[in-house]
Amino acid sequence: MSAPIRCLALLGLLLAASAQAADAADAALVQRGQYLATAGDCVACHTAPGGQPYAGGLTVPTPVGAIVSTNITPSTSAGIGRYTQQQFSDAVRKGIRADGAHLYPAMPYTSYAQVTDDDVRALYAYFMHGVAPVDRKPAPTRLPFPFNLRWSMAAWNALFLDDKPFTPEPGKGAAWNRGAYLVRGLAHCGTCHTPRNLLMAERPSRELAGGMVGSWLAPNITADAHSGIGGWSEQALVDYLRLGHARGKAQAAGPMAEAVEHSLQQLEPADLQAIATYLKTVPAQRHPADTRAVDSWGAAFDGIADQRGTALADDAGLWSGAQLYDAHCASCHQASGEGSFDGGLPSLFHNTATGRADTSNLVLVILDGIRWTDASGVRMPGFAQALSDHQVATLANYLTLRYGNPTARVTATQAANLRAGGAPSHLVALARLAMVVVAVLILAILVLWHRRRRRRASSGQA
Amino acid sequence: MPAQQSADIVVIGAGIVGALAARRLAQQGASVLMLEAGPRLESARIVAAFRNSPLKGNWMAPYPPSPWAPHPIYVPRDNGYLKQAGPYPYPAEYIRAVGGTTWHWAAQAWRLVPNDVRIKSLYGVGVDWPLSYEELDPWYQEAEEILGVAGADNTGSPRQHPFPMAPVAEPWSMRRVRERLAPTYAVVANTVARNSRSYGGRPACVGNNSCQPICPVNAQYLGINAVEAAEAAGAKVVPNAVVYRIEHDAKGRIAAVRYYAPDKSEHRVTGTTFILAANGIESPKLLLLSASSKYPNGLANSSGAVGRHLMDHPSTSLTFYADEELWLGRGPQSPSSINTLRDGAFRAQHAPYRLDFTNISQVLNVTNDLIKEGVYGAEFEKQLRWRAARQINVKNVLEVLPNPDNRITLSTEKDAMGIPKPEAHYAIDDYTRRAAEVSKADFARIAALMGGTGLRYSAEGQFANNQHITGTLSMGSDPASSVVDAFGRTHDHENLFVCGTGVMPTAATMNSTLTAVALALRTAEHILPAKQAAAADGREAGRA
Amino acid sequence: MALDESDSVAADRTDDPADASRRRLLAGLLTAYTASLIPWALAQPAPHAERGAFTALSAILVGRQALDGAQATRLYDALAAGNARFPAEVQALLSLIGERHIDPRQLQGVLDGEHSPLAPLPRQIMSAWFLGVVGGGGDARCVAYETALNAVVVADVLKPPTYAYGAYGSWSAKPNA
Repeated sequence: MSAPIRCLALLGLLLAASAQAADAADAALVQRGQYLATAGDCVACHTAPGGQPYAGGLTVPTPVGAIVSTNITPSTSAGIGRYTQQQFSDAVRKGIRADGAHLYPAMPYTSYAQVTDDDVRALYAYFMHGVAPVDRKPAPTRLPFPFNLRWSMAAWNALFLDDKPFTPEPGKGAAWNRGAYLVRGLAHCGTCHTPRNLLMAERPSRELAGGMVGSWLAPNITADAHSGIGGWSEQALVDYLRLGHARGKAQAAGPMAEAVEHSLQQLEPADLQAIATYLKTVPAQRHPADTRAVDSWGAAFDGIADQRGTALADDAGLWSGAQLYDAHCASCHQASGEGSFDGGLPSLFHNTATGRADTSNLVLVILDGIRWTDASGVRMPGFAQALSDHQVATLANYLTLRYGNPTARVTATQAANLRAGGAPSHLVALARLAMVVVAVLILAILVLWHRRRRRRASSGQA
Repeated sequence: MPAQQSADIVVIGAGIVGALAARRLAQQGASVLMLEAGPRLESARIVAAFRNSPLKGNWMAPYPPSPWAPHPIYVPRDNGYLKQAGPYPYPAEYIRAVGGTTWHWAAQAWRLVPNDVRIKSLYGVGVDWPLSYEELDPWYQEAEEILGVAGADNTGSPRQHPFPMAPVAEPWSMRRVRERLAPTYAVVANTVARNSRSYGGRPACVGNNSCQPICPVNAQYLGINAVEAAEAAGAKVVPNAVVYRIEHDAKGRIAAVRYYAPDKSEHRVTGTTFILAANGIESPKLLLLSASSKYPNGLANSSGAVGRHLMDHPSTSLTFYADEELWLGRGPQSPSSINTLRDGAFRAQHAPYRLDFTNISQVLNVTNDLIKEGVYGAEFEKQLRWRAARQINVKNVLEVLPNPDNRITLSTEKDAMGIPKPEAHYAIDDYTRRAAEVSKADFARIAALMGGTGLRYSAEGQFANNQHITGTLSMGSDPASSVVDAFGRTHDHENLFVCGTGVMPTAATMNSTLTAVALALRTAEHILPAKQAAAADGREAGRA
Repeated sequence: MALDESDSVAADRTDDPADASRRRLLAGLLTAYTASLIPWALAQPAPHAERGAFTALSAILVGRQALDGAQATRLYDALAAGNARFPAEVQALLSLIGERHIDPRQLQGVLDGEHSPLAPLPRQIMSAWFLGVVGGGGDARCVAYETALNAVVVADVLKPPTYAYGAYGSWSAKPNA
């Protein structure tokens, strides 16, 4: 080999090495972006059931038309492949698409607005280089008037969007600040857990005091000892976020089970610890009905023992709560509701499922069970097929009376309504949609009213 | 004039076998009607019935027979449904209900071992099957994926593809048995249709230790799951439809079946193809009942083989106390066994067998023993704990050879609907008895390795039955000696097929359900071949 | 005295069933056999005498110092409903044990040896307490399952069949480890 060629070869090697270093840095950035995307649970809404990740197409049938999530893969034809970093940042943090149109706040950009510039850069790197492009565009969302007035969101944003990224509070410590950043930002806990005002915006003064996600109650997770998680140890909170349950406290079901499965359980232990640290300091908000800690009600009670020897009615509609409990529940939760030795099958007393005054989640869990999409799959079978609305009410009232808050009641009508409430897995999106629909409607009215007033005012001048 | 119904495919019997055949055919677009003599049951009611039953040791107690479709009950007294002609009793148990007998089973879902289908050629006993193990293999796989089956990979049954999940976690008791019997015996995980993870929309096992009489959480595959899958595929089920006659036309094709509703109103169902899947006793009963002037010995019976070659798996056993605490009753009931004696040159002389360990809680048996012994005072509780922690049981599962004299016939007695009851003629021959004798040495060795005391062998000459009703509708290549061909089609009626354990020409050493399901899937494919995509879809559905 | 309290609990079914501590019946400080209990039980005024005798005899046969009062009432009612002579037989057996100071370990042997008409009684009472089953053959009735003593005395290790042991795989661990 001649000298010049050797030199060239050497140069090539050097260039390759530096390219490798750059690649390594990029790879680290992409990896961090992937982690942040997990924390943001982007996949939950931007993936159709059984579809490719981030290719969008999750369809939510609604009374006003089908809402379809978009393709956020780096496809240049169908996704966000042509987005610049600034355009990406505006979409994520300001709810503004590359074409300038406003997103509906079904996309939780009011939370994502907290994300730092560095993290947006990492997210951008991930979505551009770490996600496989899918050149398939989901059907566009076409809502009828007035729900198609995307521009109205500009006014809504002016009122409710704080678009300044998170800035650490000095003196609160690194863990607290990290927790606050995640809870208020990417993890967008408030999207479900913070109650909303008339215009369906989160009420900052009621941070994490409990909201609704479709039919599900997203409970109060403030530091209140009765209504919230004030009585939980940080370890119990971490267990819950990592495993989907905390012994003697609560189990994640419905949309929260999805959030744990797809997002929270994959976060680093230090981040979960930080979330717990922060949650323990969220200003306490108490629901007046919670006269004691919602996870402290009830005790072991055997309502079955004195049923033995009593023949069961042929018509199971006539069975008592104890008899229904015996036949359907006791196999796992045990005769006295105490759960299994290892707590793997939970106790029904000292359990928020039976301890809350609001019984929606109890009824929904009886109907739908708890299902994850991973190998753990059916964590609790649903009884929608096996139990009538009347039986659900009889059973649930037995549970709250014996193991939970005895003033909490369930009616057959409530069970019927919740049964008819649609598929449980799309409820997050449904809730967000409801928010959009109401907001747009109200804004449209406001705008029309404002224009008419101006017209009247100008005609008065003439 | 009876009410009329019609379908492309009429299936008689809505148990696991008929339902999975029905499901597969419905998936191909056929209209399928399943007629089930018994009622529709609810799992929760069975659970409650068991807990309220004074007969906790009798797993049939939560399944009371319906007046219009009785099944045999022996405790507290024989209900006289299955008549016993002797010389040896054959107290078969089965359930006539939607979902059939696999409402309660141990979910043991074994394959044959390859030589099981060639025992005449290899060992000069019994008969050969009209198909090879290799031909069965893909059907076993499909059955295993539908049922959600897993087990050890060294039980003597080779496979092309892995089980759909890992074996169920080993209970502590079985771990100790395995450790202490090694290397003399290889104790391995049973092949079972019990979820080691969430599968088929059903949860993983949580160790209710009541696989029999009922798995309360449906971690174990049940016949009702097969029925529900068939219904989801479009098949229709008529419960409480007691078929009492199969009708043929002048050419010998099956034209219709007739059934009674519980009020004895008559119904007639016509169809193109008929599948008889009412189990190894009720199916031959129905063929014999349907005798006509053209077929005076019953349908499908030109060979005279219908109802003959009745086989099952008799068992003898040893119960003893181990020298350490095992606490049977934690986890599923039937987790482990020894499978090294299922095949070998010895089959020319005596029956092969499996050695099966139970993990059923011993508390009930021990309590009964202590009450019988008249133990009172503080000693009772002390003994109860000591014995419940240490008592263990091993049984053999012995092959029985096909013998034409072991058979199901029609009794002169009739049931409440006026239908003749089945009658069992049964004997256990020396081939099987020799194996029971041989296995005693295994029992003794096992007890010694476990530091056993208080050895109690089952009574001499007494065999427990295992409810694996086999052989009464045997498949074979020769129409002169068998009822159906290798695809389950009756030799005598072109559009009548039989599915079920009855078609197995030999019983081998394993629980018969999986083999019957595999053969039924093969029969369904023969009746109406699956489209490529649909076949793949079928497997997915098993997972969904 | 513990015995008074226990008897009142056993006799009074109107107690708040949720009050577990009051449902617990202390049958006295029985070891294996306390002869002093018997005259006390037999001296109770009617209708307490019959239930008191059942409680005392149960404590002797079962060999437990604490028996559940509500369960005792259920079992007594079921046993008495199936056999009109049951109350008298219980008192007779209790008197016999008291008069002759029969050790429970010898009891069945004594009754069988003397062809006593009371010979089946201890087993009936034991079946009721330990199996939760009253009566025999086709008349047998289940009056307890989860609270039958054969479930209670192993409840630290086993769940009664049909009740889940625990999360998948939990049974692989050594019992009570």
